[in-house]
Amino acid sequence: MAEALRALPAARIVAHVADAARRWRDADLPPRVRVTAEIERRLGYSTPVVDFALDRLFSGIDRDALESAIAAELGAVRALDGPLERQGLPPAWARGVERVAIVSSDTTIGVALVPAIFALCAKCDVTVKDRSDALVAAFFASLAEEHPAFARSALARPWTGGDDPHEAELFRTADVVVAFGGDEALRAIRERCGAETRFVPFGHRASIGRLTGADAAALDGALADRIVRDALLYDGEGCLSLHALFVDAGGTELERVANVLRTAGERVALEFPGGARDAAAVARTAAYRNLAEFRAASGSGAVLRARDAMLVIEPPAADGPPFLPRVLPVYAGDDDAVASYVARLRLPVQALGVVACDANSVALAARIGAVRVAPFGAMQSPPVAGHHGGRPRIADFIRWIDGA
Amino acid sequence: MSAAAAAPVRRRTDPALQVPSAEALDARILDAIGVYALDDDAFLDLARELFAYQVGTNAPYAAFARAQGFDANRLPDRIERIPAVPAAAFKDARLATFPPARTAVWFETSGTSRGGSGRHELDTTRLYEAALLASFDRMMLDGGERLRYLNLVPDPHERPHSSLGFMLGVVARERGDGRGGWYLHGDELDVDTFAGAAARARADGAAVCVATTAFALVALLDALAERNANLALPAGSRIMETGGFKGRTRVVERATLYREASARLGIPLDAIVAEYGMTELSSQYYDDPAGRDHIEPRVKVAPPWLRAIVVDGDGRPVPEGVVGAIRHVDLANRGSVIAVETEDLGALVAGATPHTSGRRLVLFGREQGAELRGCSLDAETLLARRG
Repeated sequence: MAEALRALPAARIVAHVADAARRWRDADLPPRVRVTAEIERRLGYSTPVVDFALDRLFSGIDRDALESAIAAELGAVRALDGPLERQGLPPAWARGVERVAIVSSDTTIGVALVPAIFALCAKCDVTVKDRSDALVAAFFASLAEEHPAFARSALARPWTGGDDPHEAELFRTADVVVAFGGDEALRAIRERCGAETRFVPFGHRASIGRLTGADAAALDGALADRIVRDALLYDGEGCLSLHALFVDAGGTELERVANVLRTAGERVALEFPGGARDAAAVARTAAYRNLAEFRAASGSGAVLRARDAMLVIEPPAADGPPFLPRVLPVYAGDDDAVASYVARLRLPVQALGVVACDANSVALAARIGAVRVAPFGAMQSPPVAGHHGGRPRIADFIRWIDGA
Repeated sequence: MSAAAAAPVRRRTDPALQVPSAEALDARILDAIGVYALDDDAFLDLARELFAYQVGTNAPYAAFARAQGFDANRLPDRIERIPAVPAAAFKDARLATFPPARTAVWFETSGTSRGGSGRHELDTTRLYEAALLASFDRMMLDGGERLRYLNLVPDPHERPHSSLGFMLGVVARERGDGRGGWYLHGDELDVDTFAGAAARARADGAAVCVATTAFALVALLDALAERNANLALPAGSRIMETGGFKGRTRVVERATLYREASARLGIPLDAIVAEYGMTELSSQYYDDPAGRDHIEPRVKVAPPWLRAIVVDGDGRPVPEGVVGAIRHVDLANRGSVIAVETEDLGALVAGATPHTSGRRLVLFGREQGAELRGCSLDAETLLARRG
């Protein structure tokens, strides 16, 4: 199946992928228009949110970024084409495995696309369990327009999961299975993989932000906008969404910070309106707000509303993040408080949002197990060459063949 | 809060109108329970008196009400405006109208999906018992008969703070034939002893009431299926099912559960009745007797002293037929808070029956198989990971 793709130099595959992605940056591209509408229907997000997500996704997929990521992990892009002489090391060929399966049953927008692209760059046959919006299928069609080899190696289709015989066969025969999902789904998929299948799980995670005392003192509307945007985009449903914010301040300073954030919430909620929510999510959110208001009435914490968003100031840390749409808990606390919060809750952390990615931030990320330190405003825009989930981008799809 | 200035209130202008005592309120509530009737005006009057009493005696509730613009002199003008505490508040604060030393019994609340527990404290069980028996008599009993209660709910001797166990303990004591039993111990179902009790009831020709949580019923049916056993319970037997599947990983469709229970236990479908209650309340809803000839949808009816209000995300009542969160106004909750808001979903439906005056409620479970939307962790998974 992948013969046609394997016949292409990796650099050419990268170029085709980058060219297709460039076309998808045009919001008027007909397949993108169709997919945008389908994503809005599937997730209930507003058009500005979906457009933001697709712009971010495809603007990150460019030739330089892809080549840099591959070279960083494999030594050179040419390593994918055949044995590569290496200084002080035996020659080696980074040969892609035959079959890769990617399952993303519960992700926001386009999360499965990036691993699929890197697997294709490794010249693997790739099958993606697509969402009902068919974003991956539509992008694969664009790849096939770039070069017919993609038509045979890049497949995307929806399937039901569970007892689906196609899925069982795919998991049994795939060399690598990449799965995005919750604990239960990941366990179930892992059990169905072959004994030597390489299983690459991306579990559900949370992201946390922290403002130092100096950050808090310097908080202005622009920074507050970036913080709130990280919390409100995708209604907080992504693993890179800001789920809890720690501020190293108390008393009137915390009150000021909260009010600046609320004002920012008014602006950002207007720019990125909230999505449609089902009755259960509405009820859970209302219950959380009511409880916070009940506590506030007795002098504990506060609730600040900003259009359809909500800041809950100083809720009990033991409760953990509420993981509710457009609800951001704000805690008073320093880096030790952040670490203690994460440890007590056994919270798997994806990103740490900060003002400055300095040594202290990196040290805190290491303490809490975060796999990314991101400046506020960029939490939801991970670089395509980054290590999502703390993992390599392409190395998981490689079986090295040493020449000595 | 801005709500304070705008809250619609009815001021207490009559100086003769004093905040009533607990005893006076109990007497009035017991009267309503006794006659099983309370029209809208009478309900509102009693609700307002009860609210005035509670904001005078229950400090956390008073603070919450004050934040919404109400106090003993500024009473809500409609029951929809009575401040409703979230059910989870019971694990945050002691919501009682009496000092701890006067607590007669307390029930442990499960709080929310976030974990932790709280207490619903009672200074007397008179209201609670009267309310539950008045409803049970009308919704589960055809009149006067003494059933044998085979309980698949917590034994009140083992778990004295289970409201469900307490409720069935009262029912078995007051309405049972004295030969029933308890077959759920911790999470373990004693199937053999239950089957033995069922056989004795059959030999005695004694109709039974199997009081069970939905989850225990599934466990019982699974065990019977493994043994390929059917328990043909005597004519007139029935099932009171309650509790749903909250917190359980295995969920069975109600229609499937009822059909299997009917087949395995020999009980007609219309004798399988769902009760809906919560630890934070003192009263219960039951399936409307007028609609038990089918499984879905079952419609719940409340006794006259309990009203359901369905609200949107901002706490505003929604029209009939619109799904929202359920708020309960329970006059039998004299010792705690009159109004409790939940995360349970429901919709009010029209249609008076002999058992209700037009306030009927359809419950909606969590949507099964709904497509998850994001890769963020969720509160339930986090709680599960924390063990």
